[in-house]
Amino acid sequence: MNYADWPLSAPVNITWEITHRCNLKCIHCLSGSSNESPGELNLTECKNIVDQLVALGVFEINFGGGEPLLQDYFLPLLRYIHEKGIVTCISTNGTVLNDEAVTYFTDNPLVNIQVSLDGASAEVNDRIRGRGTFYKILSGIECLAGKNITLSINTVVTSLNFHQLTELKEMASSYGARLRVSRFRPSGRARDSWDNLRLNSAQLQELSGWLSNDPSILTGDSFFSISQDGRSQLGLDMCGACKLTACIDPCGFVYPCAFMQEREFCGGNLREILFEDIWNESTSFLYFRQLEPESCRACPRFDKCRGGCPAVAYFVSRDLNSADPECLANWSREVGSKR
Amino acid sequence: MVCRLADNVRVRKESWGLLFYSPPRHKVCFVRSGDWLSPDSFAGEWTVTGLAEGIDVRTGTPAEAVERSLQKMTGQLIDSRMVVDELR
Repeated sequence: MNYADWPLSAPVNITWEITHRCNLKCIHCLSGSSNESPGELNLTECKNIVDQLVALGVFEINFGGGEPLLQDYFLPLLRYIHEKGIVTCISTNGTVLNDEAVTYFTDNPLVNIQVSLDGASAEVNDRIRGRGTFYKILSGIECLAGKNITLSINTVVTSLNFHQLTELKEMASSYGARLRVSRFRPSGRARDSWDNLRLNSAQLQELSGWLSNDPSILTGDSFFSISQDGRSQLGLDMCGACKLTACIDPCGFVYPCAFMQEREFCGGNLREILFEDIWNESTSFLYFRQLEPESCRACPRFDKCRGGCPAVAYFVSRDLNSADPECLANWSREVGSKR
Repeated sequence: MVCRLADNVRVRKESWGLLFYSPPRHKVCFVRSGDWLSPDSFAGEWTVTGLAEGIDVRTGTPAEAVERSLQKMTGQLIDSRMVVDELR
């Protein structure tokens, strides 16, 4: 698909990091969250942003952080959003769920819950998410399971949990949930653990084959560039940043995506400028919308991924015109050279 | 054939046509319909003939001239599970 032929007047969905506050300190956290940031938006400001998104016809808001449930006004904000009919997906670490939240989520067709779990055993999960978290997360999942809540378990695939993916899928299934896998990307705290936790080319090949053989596994972001073609019909064939999605941070800054929260990529702040103006006119968004990495244009797979994930490319090489280092063309080449 | 949007599917007008979105599957579908159709065209139950007649009334384009392409569009929306058909 060529985005230039199908420009959107507004995003399909928004990733909204509602706070940087988090009770965990995961080593791969994309936003490096732990403490609340100075100047986080208040409820009135958030409602104003919601009103803008409603007027633009945004379909879905995906909440993350930080831990969204630690934002004091999170449930009142959700109620406000649901009154407007917008679908929400809430990414939680599962350790701070309370009865009020679970009751509100139950039987609510506008709520999707995604609990993060990064291993099928305490040994693996706790190396990533912190000591003692595995059983706390399972307790959280048990609070949600068996109720009428659309539930998925999200695993960021790393070299530590790669061998447990099938087990994780079975665990998710046992709770009536689906497994969603996310790419490990070197943003936030993950920059420090990138070299140790990233998949090697053989693992990328195996992951690609595993995903191709199991369409029930959910993949949220940019797997199109590392996966084989059999899966392409299940999702996008290009990076959606600034084209279908954008990210709002806890202080109202708007970025191309959650993995590109660098000051130089910021489209503006919603305390000063309307979302619509950022989407239509900001230099950063206009740039990303036309970005086609130079190093990829001669690749025979260019039409199938259009350069893959610019966040990975940027944080590895500091060059937006370089290729996604984990793309299928790259790992195939590496696997081939080792034979 | 009477059709309706599948459960929870939303439709948004874009400069090139209509954007369909299925929240349960987080899927989008692009329909290059220009200004011939609007989200209201898909409210409640509808038929291809009804859509074509609506275009005829609004634009003066004869219904029979657009009915074939509307059938194709409807088939694609059914295939992508944005629309369900209910035989009467």
